[in-house]
Amino acid sequence: MDKFKVTFLPENKTIEVAKDTTILSAAISAGVSINSACGGDGVCGKCKVKIKSGKAEQIHLACQSPVHSDLEVEVPPESRLDEKVIELKDLYSASEDIDASKALKDQAFKHSPLSAKFFLKLPKPNLDDSISDLERLYRELRKLQSFPVMQTGLTNIRQLGELLRDSDWQVTVTLGKRNDTVEIVLVEPGDTSGKNYGMAFDIGTTTISGQLVDLNTMQVLGTKASYNKQASFGSDVISRIIYAHEEGGLEKLHSAVIETMNHMIHELTTEHNVDLNDVTCMLCAGNTTMMHLLLSVDPTYIRKEPYVPTANFLPVVRAKEAGVNINPRGLLSCVPGVSSYVGGDTTSGVLSSGLYKEEELSILIDIGTNGEICLGNKDFLVACAASAGPAFEGSGLTCGMRASRGAIQEVKINPKDLKVTPETIGNAKPVGICGSGYIDLIAEMLKAGIIDKAGKIIAENERVRVSDMGKEFVIVDDIVINEADIENLKRAKAAIYSAGAILVKHMGLEMDAVKKIFIAGGFGTSLDVEKAIEIGLLPDLPRKRFKFIGNSSLAGARQIILSVDAQKCADEIARKITYFELSVDPGYMDQYMAALFFPHTDLKRFPTVKF
Amino acid sequence: MAAELMRETWSGEVSVVTIGAAKSEGGTRSAMVKIGGQKTLPFLFAEGAIPHKPVIALEIWDIAPLDWPEESTKPYGQSIKDPLAWAQMCVKEFKAQLLCVRLQGAHPDFGNKSAQQEAEFIKALLKKVDVPLIIKGCGDDEKDNQVLAVCAEAAKGERCLIGSAVQDNYKTLVAAVLADGHNIIAESPIDINIAKQLNILISDMGLPLERIVIDPTIGALGYGLEYAYSIMERARLAALSGDKTVASPFICFIGQEAWRAKEAKVGSADQGIMWEVVTACALIQAGGDILVMRHPKAVEKVNKYIEELFIPR
Repeated sequence: MDKFKVTFLPENKTIEVAKDTTILSAAISAGVSINSACGGDGVCGKCKVKIKSGKAEQIHLACQSPVHSDLEVEVPPESRLDEKVIELKDLYSASEDIDASKALKDQAFKHSPLSAKFFLKLPKPNLDDSISDLERLYRELRKLQSFPVMQTGLTNIRQLGELLRDSDWQVTVTLGKRNDTVEIVLVEPGDTSGKNYGMAFDIGTTTISGQLVDLNTMQVLGTKASYNKQASFGSDVISRIIYAHEEGGLEKLHSAVIETMNHMIHELTTEHNVDLNDVTCMLCAGNTTMMHLLLSVDPTYIRKEPYVPTANFLPVVRAKEAGVNINPRGLLSCVPGVSSYVGGDTTSGVLSSGLYKEEELSILIDIGTNGEICLGNKDFLVACAASAGPAFEGSGLTCGMRASRGAIQEVKINPKDLKVTPETIGNAKPVGICGSGYIDLIAEMLKAGIIDKAGKIIAENERVRVSDMGKEFVIVDDIVINEADIENLKRAKAAIYSAGAILVKHMGLEMDAVKKIFIAGGFGTSLDVEKAIEIGLLPDLPRKRFKFIGNSSLAGARQIILSVDAQKCADEIARKITYFELSVDPGYMDQYMAALFFPHTDLKRFPTVKF
Repeated sequence: MAAELMRETWSGEVSVVTIGAAKSEGGTRSAMVKIGGQKTLPFLFAEGAIPHKPVIALEIWDIAPLDWPEESTKPYGQSIKDPLAWAQMCVKEFKAQLLCVRLQGAHPDFGNKSAQQEAEFIKALLKKVDVPLIIKGCGDDEKDNQVLAVCAEAAKGERCLIGSAVQDNYKTLVAAVLADGHNIIAESPIDINIAKQLNILISDMGLPLERIVIDPTIGALGYGLEYAYSIMERARLAALSGDKTVASPFICFIGQEAWRAKEAKVGSADQGIMWEVVTACALIQAGGDILVMRHPKAVEKVNKYIEELFIPR
């Protein structure tokens, strides 16, 4: 097959591509960012480039121009991504590899990814077999599988005739599941069917986790996490919704999340030698506000009574329409949400935990900034959301950090001399404390009598100092926990515990009736359930009922990207979950206030906890 | 057939707190005051025992009070300027069973008396009167920590009721009360959860729950009385349901709240007295065990009310 060199100016980056590859695809492979709001449909006109041949220059749309010879292409500034995005650049921190080994990995659903590639050797047309190119393509595809409804974008049809003949009738077709139809997303010359990748994302209020998945082998190539840089505009969903209302606010929030994701995709694909063009789809799970911001949809009405979002079930769109850099015609799908405050991340978690098919009464507790709780079994599902704040994700605390290398994740304190033995992730030099480290730390401080049950530091020791934020306890070097941090953690754990408690009470049940407890959250590799119970974050139930499942939202997104059956199941779950609004429940504040104590004001709820 | 009344049976009871130590116990008080012990909601005698009556403590200060309305100081005449004479008058003339002395003079803005001066005063007071004592700090956390610790030591063995411990400042006082054999007032801001939490924190330090009296913080008639009422009622329901951490008797500072009301300062001469009486009677119905009051006439009326409540029917 013929290959040509395309050089992009002014970067002077050169890339070799197969004949009939579009200039836009070539640019993505070369790492040159070209704006393409319509996702390659050829209607937005944002991807204008200048093609140089000798002294003459011609303006073309990059998405509509197949490469037929070696080219020099100049990308003018107006065709690049927004200036505003670049302004935000310095906000971004590098993402880090995270260990997702604890996350659920079983793929219980039939392999049928969101987008699949098929290599076709089409029989050449002749006078006896003279059906059209497109129908020929359909016919060949339908020999492989039954596709009741198929559609193809005009852009693909326009290029089809020449492409088929130039590639000697050997092409790779990418089929995408778009809502209820199957779409020919892309027709490429030659055989690229071995290279088909997807990105699964969990877009959290505080943390964004992304995973590069090989859609053919179902293997996870890498997982990364990064703080959601929208946090610069407010730490919780409400303050972000308010910010979105300001001039340019929605755009900034949108850019912040997209840039973080693009950065992560770029890093993962580079590290694993994956061409961005071969990333053909992505699947995002996140709370409702995050999904609105991802797609740049105004989230205003989420915040106003009666708290109605613009959409819970979002259609599959082109990733480019949202501004994400993968294959320009690649698809973006979102896990359906339940309500304004229980989003696709919960649906995704319910899917991956298997809560929806449990025989016994079970509960899923997702310990995040917007802590979601789902109670139920195969017969019913009811969910609520508790605004816990980002404390357990290591944000907003003096020495907090995400569960990554160097984070203190386990702590032992000797009650006699208050000597602290910290253990860090990767056994690296301690640089901060992550969520599981804080849970450990509070439990140990209570046991050693460093703090009282209200969270005030009462010990007198050389490790106790007085700071602007009240008293602080030194863990190692400059890593401390102060009374304000403890108060913050106390509120976060109270919000999550009381939400679970009230949900169970609302169903007219006792906590003890819950036979399985799935704990989800970005806690890295460990969460000590015993300690989490000791501080009153989790209910005091027999320990063998607990199962820590890591980032269940990301695991669900991965299952869905790999199987249309999982997608259907998620749709059903989202429809089935009954939403319970805590803010209008008069009992919630009472429960919350009672939970502002370690482990709880009502000690009878924690009979096994003794300090 | 006659209708049969439904009767509630409770699993818990209010703990009994004893204030004052007689000679036989190493103290010098002529009598002890016992409060609490209820096994039912207020005055539902048919449902459970109410072994101890609510008791009224007369409030005195270690200095001449500055902000008491004239009507409330009248009965004490010139004695109000001499705390010891004032105390004696309360006991001798007005038959107080219990005295609550507020060490307002220790407050940095009200004379800033030293801990030593206050301890001397407490010693003198214990000599002058032989009823059990409630010792209340001036309200300045730092100063109270100094003063109350020394006063607790000065009154060692007398089993006083000393306060107040609050959530952010309880350690010093608990340690002092524990060391010198007194009881403690645990004050919470009209909040049942904080009341419970404070009781737990105090008992965590080793002071038995039977030595804690809860000050739920009350409001006078027209000034939040109903909030206090419902918090006390909720706490009592929890106590009777078996929650020991909130099963302490209540102390209600009736006088200071009632005489702050605008209505107590204007109108006819006995309006303030009646304000105090109504506030006290309502909170007795909520479960108040100790009522700290100011006007002897109000005390007389409330005492009569208590007697009537206990007439067997």
